Amino acid sequence: MSSEKDKSTQKVTLASNDGSHIEVDRVVAERSMLIKNLIEDLGDDSVSTAAIPIPNVNDPVLRKVVEWCEKHRGDSQQSTEEENDSRKKTTDIDEWDQKFMQVDQEMLFEIILAANYLDIKALLDVGCKTVANMIKGKSPEEIRKTFNITNDFTPEEEEQIRRENEWAEDR
Amino acid sequence: MSTTAPPRAGNSILKTLQATEMIDSKPVLPAEIIVAILDYLPVSDLMRFARTSRRMREMVYDDTHWVARLRSMGCWDETEARRRFEDAMKRRRELANRGSVGASGGVVAAVGQKPPTMSTTLFDASVEEERRRQVFLQRQQQHMAEVRDGFETLTVTGPQPPRPPFQDPSKDPEALLNVIKSAQSVRGHARHEYGRIYGALAPFYFDLASAKTHTDPIVFQVFRDPERQAQMLANLRLFAESDWAQGWRQREEKLASMTAIFESAVLREFEQGYEFWDVDGRMKKYAGVLNVLNGGSASIDLFIHKHPIFADREVLANAMDCVNQAPADHVTLEPSRRFFDVLLRKVNEQAAIIERIFPDPGPVFWAFVDKVREDVIMEYATPLFDETHERSIPSYLKSVSGLFEQTLNFFRTLTPPKGAAGEQEAKAKEFALKVFEPHLDLYLQDEQDNFTKNAEQEVGEWEKKLSDQDATFESFYLSSFNNRQADKKDFLTSFKKVVMMPVSVLPTSLSLPGLPIGSPFGSSKPAAPSANGNTLQPAASPQPSRPHSPSLPSSASLDRTGSPMPGKAAPSDELAAKAALMTSRLEGIKSLFSIEVALSLVHSAKASLGRVAVFIQLGGQAGGEAREQCESIFVALLRILGGRHIKPGFDRAVAHLSQYNPREVSQHDKGGVAPLVTFIELVNVGDLISQMIDVFYEQQLAGPKIADRNDFLDPSVLAKKKFEQMLDESVAAGLNKGIDVLMDEVEYICATTQLPTDYNPAAVALESESAFASTEKPAAGAGGLPHTMSAGLDIGPTPTAQRIRDLVASHTDMLVGSTDKSMLDVFNGEVGLRLFAAVCKHLKRQRISTEGAIKLIADMNLYFEWIRTLKNQDLLAYFKALRELSQIYLIDGKHHAKEMATIIADGDRFGGIFRAEEVYEYAERRADWYQVRRDVERAMYGLECAVI
Repeated sequence: MSSEKDKSTQKVTLASNDGSHIEVDRVVAERSMLIKNLIEDLGDDSVSTAAIPIPNVNDPVLRKVVEWCEKHRGDSQQSTEEENDSRKKTTDIDEWDQKFMQVDQEMLFEIILAANYLDIKALLDVGCKTVANMIKGKSPEEIRKTFNITNDFTPEEEEQIRRENEWAEDR
Repeated sequence: MSTTAPPRAGNSILKTLQATEMIDSKPVLPAEIIVAILDYLPVSDLMRFARTSRRMREMVYDDTHWVARLRSMGCWDETEARRRFEDAMKRRRELANRGSVGASGGVVAAVGQKPPTMSTTLFDASVEEERRRQVFLQRQQQHMAEVRDGFETLTVTGPQPPRPPFQDPSKDPEALLNVIKSAQSVRGHARHEYGRIYGALAPFYFDLASAKTHTDPIVFQVFRDPERQAQMLANLRLFAESDWAQGWRQREEKLASMTAIFESAVLREFEQGYEFWDVDGRMKKYAGVLNVLNGGSASIDLFIHKHPIFADREVLANAMDCVNQAPADHVTLEPSRRFFDVLLRKVNEQAAIIERIFPDPGPVFWAFVDKVREDVIMEYATPLFDETHERSIPSYLKSVSGLFEQTLNFFRTLTPPKGAAGEQEAKAKEFALKVFEPHLDLYLQDEQDNFTKNAEQEVGEWEKKLSDQDATFESFYLSSFNNRQADKKDFLTSFKKVVMMPVSVLPTSLSLPGLPIGSPFGSSKPAAPSANGNTLQPAASPQPSRPHSPSLPSSASLDRTGSPMPGKAAPSDELAAKAALMTSRLEGIKSLFSIEVALSLVHSAKASLGRVAVFIQLGGQAGGEAREQCESIFVALLRILGGRHIKPGFDRAVAHLSQYNPREVSQHDKGGVAPLVTFIELVNVGDLISQMIDVFYEQQLAGPKIADRNDFLDPSVLAKKKFEQMLDESVAAGLNKGIDVLMDEVEYICATTQLPTDYNPAAVALESESAFASTEKPAAGAGGLPHTMSAGLDIGPTPTAQRIRDLVASHTDMLVGSTDKSMLDVFNGEVGLRLFAAVCKHLKRQRISTEGAIKLIADMNLYFEWIRTLKNQDLLAYFKALRELSQIYLIDGKHHAKEMATIIADGDRFGGIFRAEEVYEYAERRADWYQVRRDVERAMYGLECAVI
């Protein structure tokens, strides 16, 4: 039963931290490197009988992540060769992903955290780009609000930094 | 929600509560995710983000981001950074030693602060950086103000004395142009450095990205002349590499399209200059502009593709001339040489022009040459090869190899522009390989096939001729053996001379129009073909006497004396002449194998090898294949020469030997056993061929390092070993048979020529008649004499013994120098032993009188003396014993029976060779045995009794 052709039709069950179970195709679940490695380690049998617990992710977020994985099930898995320090330029967010990411900020962060935990690189990238787009054009004060950052600068210090990086100002 | 309060206020309980609430409601992203997000931010947002909190500032300022950006533009040099870092550390240590703590403290706090003025004495990276940044901002501000209104002015707090290059505002644009080039790699200051570049280029970049038409961008307004515009565009293209915020793709496309517009405009100018052949004016200028912009590949392409050389009638020669100007089925490379001469001249002219036009002429020149290779040389070579391949293989082989050498020579003699000469050899090989790559496999295969075919054909023809000739007409003769070794040495010397002569398929042969191909010996001696007025067929020159010698089979001896034939084609060179002479001497073995065939095979192998060997200098895979091919040609040569030619010859000779029956041969007065003589001649020739092969191997394969003579797995070495082994085995097998035959002959001579009166002059003629059937006695002359003059006048050895001695000696002498020493020793030893046995056997059949004993002793002395020349101690002992033995016949039996008995019983006397019983048997052969027997026996047994 562990032959390769079973893989496409094989199902696995994911259990969120609030107890709900989601059944997905194995290939979809394996978009997550975490789950993929886990299945490889545990073996097919144990996975097909028991649900895989995803303790850090709750049901709505997990459903959202699974939705994304379903959509991107056919994508070629990115190799890890782009781990070199000079980051490659990445493509812009495609339309479907843009829509997908039109959620409230809390949900967006949850998705990013879940993608980070589940090790779904492409989803994490999309999330980060979305956040970057949110930051774009905002003043420091707005950024603080958005990201819940505590300002620990004196106004003078803040002005000093601004001056220091004058060269980068939009003109 | 608002957290604008300073952090100091955070100790109120409300604040804490609020914070925890927020953490609950809003998930906080971990640092690594924030770092990932930062990478997607445009630089301006990045800097605003840095202003949100200390932690964020740390993240944004982290050097690795900025190093990555610098690196993406290709202006981060890690080694430079390390060096600076180490220098800074050293300086800091020195500083600490001097105790100026305040200065280093100031340095640490220097970020964003006005650096302490006293630190001008030390060159500290951070200080330097800060200073330069300020200078730059000042400069930029001045500059920008000119360009655009409303540019935010900046007050620089502490203007430092700026470095001269940046000081002069008139040189301002220059600094902008060189901003990327002048970037430094300083650890911890990558952000500053990037800021400098960003400040200089970003305005242009974003302006260009948002420009509607190609006239809008300020780049084209600030800079007027095309060189600077090109430089700026090149800078922007580099700068775009560090832009990885979203939307970079559009910006880059925009930049690319702007660049393309600019490029095509410049290119048009270049093209116009090209049409007017305005080399030093517009062409040079715009080639320079394009080179700055993007390496100038567009102008190079244009230059090369539109180049008039590719339509030049004079250059584009017709390759078919090589075929048409030569006699049928031949090819002459003279037209191709002219073609290359013209091409070389033209290309060298262009090299000079390229050097004038392009700032970096090397690559342009090679690209040009590559195009010439593809469009001119290959267009020339390919049809020629196809045509010759269709017409005849030999001319195909000749043209491929010849053209290759011409091509390689062409590429090597090019005069590349300055700075490009270093790679000429590599380029020449690369181009030559490219030209010949499509043909190489076929060529190498054909070369070997052709050689194998020719060689087999030659051997086959020779065999056919042989079978046409009736074998019974073979006449063997003994040539003069005195100067055999001298002859061989002579022959080998001239062979070596010829082999060492370089294979000159090119270009000397080119100067001889109409010279046939495949005759490297002829071509190296140009006078030869003209001597007989017409072109020689390749195979004809080495064997001028071969074609007619089978037609005169019955007069072979006449042939020998009268050769080389007058009126026939004169030998084309010294070697051929010697070969002919050799052949005429060796006429006797012509039915077995021919040294001429061997020589001609070696010749054609040399020609093939020479052709293939030129490809070896290509190196790499093609060179390796050519090398292998050389070896396999050599292997094929040995296989055909050894397996098809020499081995059967030896086999036939051995067969002749084993069929030999002395009684059936009518002539015995020739002094030799004909098949054995033949065979020994064969051994000589075999040895000669073997030495020839050895010389050939050394000169052609081991010398030019084609084959490694120390590599025992090397196929050519293996083949050579096998060949030599085959030769040795054949020789050994033949010699074995030869000894048998020789002894048969010896016995035959003994039986037919030894007269009963020789050793027993007193005996009556009656005995002789009854003992031998003398009706067909061939040696009548020799036998006739003793009748009358046997009365003891002649005390020399008998004619029989002399003849035997001569026979054996001549055969052993023939072998000297033709096989190795050890084999010769074994052969001689065996011959000696067998001779001994034969003599003993013969002796037992004789009846010897006391008077005849003189003769016998003389005979034995004769044998003994001869054996002594062989320098074989063991053998000598036998013949010494024989000599001693012969003395028992001399004893007067009537009076000295006792002494005779003593001698018979004296084993020491014969060195242990004869036992007493044997000696007794010999004693029985005394003519007067029956008279003395009683006395002797009595003496013997009496003596024995006495001993007992």
